[in-house]
Amino acid sequence: MENPVVIKGNKHGITVFLDAKLDFETLKKFVAEKFRDSSKFLGEAPVILGFEGRPLLPEQEVEMLDIINANCDLKVIMIDDHDAEREERYKKQLDEVLMEIDRAQGSFYKGNLRSGQEVFFEKSVVVLGDVHPGASVVSKGNVVILGALKGQVAAGAYENENAFVFATDMSPVMIQIANVRARCSDEPEKNKEKGMKLAFLEEGRICLEPLSKKVWNDIRL
Amino acid sequence: MGEVIVITSGKGGVGKTTTTANVGTGLAKLERKVVLIDTDIGLRNLDVVMGLENRIVFNLVDVIEGTCRIKQALIKDKRYPNLYLLPAAQSKDKTAVNPEQMKKLCDELRDEFDYILMDCPAGIEQGFQNAIAGADRAIVVTTPEVSAVRDADRIIGLLEAHEMKHTHLLVNRLRMDMVKRGDMMSSDDVVEVLAIDLIGVVPDDENIVISTNQGEPLVGNDTMAGKAYMNICRRLLGEDVPYLDLNIKKGFLGKLFGKN
Repeated sequence: MENPVVIKGNKHGITVFLDAKLDFETLKKFVAEKFRDSSKFLGEAPVILGFEGRPLLPEQEVEMLDIINANCDLKVIMIDDHDAEREERYKKQLDEVLMEIDRAQGSFYKGNLRSGQEVFFEKSVVVLGDVHPGASVVSKGNVVILGALKGQVAAGAYENENAFVFATDMSPVMIQIANVRARCSDEPEKNKEKGMKLAFLEEGRICLEPLSKKVWNDIRL
Repeated sequence: MGEVIVITSGKGGVGKTTTTANVGTGLAKLERKVVLIDTDIGLRNLDVVMGLENRIVFNLVDVIEGTCRIKQALIKDKRYPNLYLLPAAQSKDKTAVNPEQMKKLCDELRDEFDYILMDCPAGIEQGFQNAIAGADRAIVVTTPEVSAVRDADRIIGLLEAHEMKHTHLLVNRLRMDMVKRGDMMSSDDVVEVLAIDLIGVVPDDENIVISTNQGEPLVGNDTMAGKAYMNICRRLLGEDVPYLDLNIKKGFLGKLFGKN
């Protein structure tokens, strides 16, 4: 028997082919060895794992999974067991995990956003310019505005409660984080405090705070 | 090769037509060959401001539909031999022409004229799309009021989306006394909000009302607005003209009793 354990990639993750002739204890050793050797190559991507070639009992599956986790950096999200309906559900969960990674990454937008312009970003966004009244920025992640925020922003659209909004001149008409919305006070323009501020969600309310170490410490990406 | 300049604003009543009439007349005074096109079909009044209402035979829609030749519809100004007006139709609406037709018309006029000024209707609908279709440059007119500035911002966004090469800002009807009291945005405030180049500031001047009613543009005369419009024309031609001192000179009694 030349290769008792074979790893193959597929669309959503990897499939591990096990030699049906070997007993479980021997296979465990081979699996550990195989994943340890390929650890570098496999990296640390989130994957769906499937076993083929030999039926495994549920507790054996868990054992195998522990061995794989111990020997490489892959993030195994779930086990693929050829059930179409469940597979669909898994795929959705995988997409969500990938989206979470997207949120932590970002893109740039250069230019002023003027009244009537609406932009949407899957990732976090850094706006190099002003957001004028009547303009709107929506992001599934965080929104950083290197300029004046005088329009509308929705961060963490519409379920990420850890999202934040930062602007070097924070005077928005309305801010939304996850599904909590806050509008600016009705005070006249000149009485309003301006300046660099961070908006985040705390106990179901949107808080606007000047930058400080404490505020940064509370931010979770 | 002539240049097409659209005068637009978004909001109505801020002085697009007055600006078109005065800038057009000013450029003609500076010996350029100019045609003014009123694109406000159904609500024309550039002809009234120019004092040429009684000479209209054919109009913009007639030209577009081929009822007449361009030459037949152009009205020669009674004061300046190198100034012409193409009036809008009054009995049709904005959908009577489309942007492609306007672009074609502009291109036909380029050979003959140095400047083609388009008076744009208020709003952002078809009339606006028609007016900007063939333009190389835009002058966005606004008054120092938040509502007008907000609409100007929207218009500038649309012009940027349309890839307009140059967009200038004209702040109209500024009242220095109110700015000093802190009751009105200054032209600097407006420029800061809109973030585009300023081409000129025109003070609020009752002579404008008089000149409009008389059908006689005041550009180039001795009034504050007349001087301001002339400066704008010079800047359009590329001259570097300093901004006017808009402070109204107080008379003797004003100096004695005026609070400063």
